[in-house]
Amino acid sequence: MTLGTFSSARSLLILAARAVIFGFLAVPPSDGKGGVRSMLDFDAATKRFGSLTALDRCTFTARPGRLTGFLGPNGAGKTTAMRAVFGLVELDAGTVRWHGVPVSAKERARFGYMPEERGLYPRMRVRDQLVYLGRLCGRGPRDVARSVDAWLERLGLAARGADRLDALSHGNQQRVQLIAALVGEPDLLVLDEPFSGLDPIAMDAMTGLLAELAFGGATVLFSSHQLDLVQDLCEDVVIIEHGRIVLAGELAELRAKVPQRIVDIRYRGQAPDWSEIAAVTLIEDQGGRARLRVGHDTDAAALLGTVRARAEIVSFAYQPPTLSELFRQAVAA
Amino acid sequence: MNGVRQGWLVARREMRERSRSRAFLISLALMAVIVAAMLVVPALLSSGGGTRNIGLAGSAPPALAATIAGQAEAAGITARVHHYANLADGEQAVRQGRADVLVAGAQRLEWPGRADQQLKAVVTGAIQLVTVRERAAAAGISPGAAASLLAPVPVTSIELGHVAGRSPADETAVTVMTLVLFFCISIFGSMVLTGVLEEKASRVVEVLLARIPARALLAGKIAGIGLLGLAQIGVTALAALVAVAAVPSIHLPAVRGAVLAWAVVWFVLGYALYATVYGALGSLGSRVEDAQSVAGPVMVILPVAYFASFVMIAQPASAAARAISYFPLTAPMAMPGRIAMGAAAWWEPVAAAIFTLATTAALVLLAGRLYTSAILHTGPRLSLKDAWHTTTGPGPGATGAGAHATQTWPRTARAATGGRTTMTRTDLSSHRLLITILTGAGIALGIAIAVLTSDVILGVIAGAGFIAVALQMVRLWTGHPGPPAVHN
Repeated sequence: MTLGTFSSARSLLILAARAVIFGFLAVPPSDGKGGVRSMLDFDAATKRFGSLTALDRCTFTARPGRLTGFLGPNGAGKTTAMRAVFGLVELDAGTVRWHGVPVSAKERARFGYMPEERGLYPRMRVRDQLVYLGRLCGRGPRDVARSVDAWLERLGLAARGADRLDALSHGNQQRVQLIAALVGEPDLLVLDEPFSGLDPIAMDAMTGLLAELAFGGATVLFSSHQLDLVQDLCEDVVIIEHGRIVLAGELAELRAKVPQRIVDIRYRGQAPDWSEIAAVTLIEDQGGRARLRVGHDTDAAALLGTVRARAEIVSFAYQPPTLSELFRQAVAA
Repeated sequence: MNGVRQGWLVARREMRERSRSRAFLISLALMAVIVAAMLVVPALLSSGGGTRNIGLAGSAPPALAATIAGQAEAAGITARVHHYANLADGEQAVRQGRADVLVAGAQRLEWPGRADQQLKAVVTGAIQLVTVRERAAAAGISPGAAASLLAPVPVTSIELGHVAGRSPADETAVTVMTLVLFFCISIFGSMVLTGVLEEKASRVVEVLLARIPARALLAGKIAGIGLLGLAQIGVTALAALVAVAAVPSIHLPAVRGAVLAWAVVWFVLGYALYATVYGALGSLGSRVEDAQSVAGPVMVILPVAYFASFVMIAQPASAAARAISYFPLTAPMAMPGRIAMGAAAWWEPVAAAIFTLATTAALVLLAGRLYTSAILHTGPRLSLKDAWHTTTGPGPGATGAGAHATQTWPRTARAATGGRTTMTRTDLSSHRLLITILTGAGIALGIAIAVLTSDVILGVIAGAGFIAVALQMVRLWTGHPGPPAVHN
């Protein structure tokens, strides 16, 4: 008998919201292929800048139909790795493969990229600009125009197509930048910090969109520092530190594999003496809310009974460590 | 999707966006109007100058007025003779511009300013003629005998110019053509430079390079701006043609079609060569403000090449002229002049064009490499050395390492250097020996050329040009001087 875990409830909510969104909004640029989309493989990718090793035998996989969160402290090598996918950085060793084939210009035509440093032609009209970028992916003019119009409509910019980019607000410019990445109807979407600088509403729209694209079968790899968001959004995570991959795989599996569990308790009244309870390590007690660390084989029901005997419990959550905790451990190691 | 198609898309965007801008349309209209005006206005002015007003005051032989008119007509001038009651009235008329000259008592010519030599000759000739006729009549010589004595001896004059078979008007035409070539190559070349810098400054370049190779982007940009430049030249030429057709009195030096065709070919070749260099150098900067500092070498070479070509117009068959019309950096401005002056055999421009094309091809490879490695760099202006070494892979040496780190690694490098992005800059003073050697080489080159061509000016140009370019290259190569750009 669990009282429900706070975090998984939030995930469920987001999933439900997504399902509703999908019901109303079909992904406008339907691929038409609908066939098997493939995965992105980093295979021992290595890049050195002089004496600095930016990527050190990086090996990981981003799978289709899933969101992969690419995490790491500033300067860990995220941007370099993403640039390597697009040949913007030439690898010294190792390869990046798409569908098992080393990535070349032909494969890149089906990729979409949003660089960390945003930028488009400030004086060019929004629609012209997007059509131009779409055509650089090798698609025909009518095809591109149709998908640009669909995306402008979808993101509420249909009336701004004839305006110069620099006439748009910052938020709208961000939307145009996103369309620039999507206009080639990519099978692989690589986004460098897509959430930076977004307000909460825009952030929700972005998470909904990314989830939707993955749902449509695309492979989505994005970097972020917002670990809670990544935890809610991503099926897979990759953590990089000093150019080395320190953790990679399915988030749920990674969390389950950790031999500790976190117990999050809210209570009323006097704080109990946590040290009296066996096999429990107190992380923090803010008075009314306490976080404990226990072994992964702890009987949650028995622990709940023990705690109940000492305090009036409002909520009780027994769960694996959060992504933030995983991240801190992995990066500190 | 191949690179050529992508390059063509880039070129089309350049043409479309640029031709839409107000600045472009204004400059296009302005160029057409200025060129047409340059042709029409002098023609209209000189046609009005055909009529001259000549004032007579004081005592004069009665036949003088008619004789002046006759003499003037023979010289192609319509003369109107006015009689003034006294000297003061006549002088007043000259001062007010109603008369171009006052003949005072058939002895003195009074001008508003400096004497007009042609009019002076006409009037003096008329006075002499009238006077001699009067004296002949007084001496009893019959008018018929006097007329045969005074029958004019036809003397014609031709303008030799500097080159056999070419008139000074041809020289003027070639001077103008060379100047136009210089301006067009400079203007459209530097448009490539600022275009590259704008793409870097707005960061759109990363979005573009994720889709197309750097060389397709550079080639497309050069082609687009070049085609637009040709269109602009075409419109201006059309305006000139319309002006010529509309105003019949415009005198154009006989310009042959072949010469013009070659001029267009050399514009294309010269533009391609210099735009490639401009594009590669542009990738070293991060902002439009960096244009001046990164384009240093070209901004020295181009005017020097123009000046050398300009000086050589008058002696197109000399060894020096031959040399600069073959040398790829000067050929685009020197060879058209030699062709126009008839000093080049048919195969010479062909050979020079091949040299220039080959040089451009080599430069495209070099520029592609620089551009690819420098284009994603942000922050302080990149030195040529760092840009060159980046693609050669890891381990160019410890001095380069810090600089490479900043390429795509701004945050770590900033952290490592205590919050400021610093480039590895070798102080210019440590290159003092190199600079001394280069300066010495430049002086030696200048003296050698001066002795070989027995032309001091050419020697000075070559020597000074060499030293200036060499110093600019050292500066770019080492990334010194220039304050580090504060960025972000």
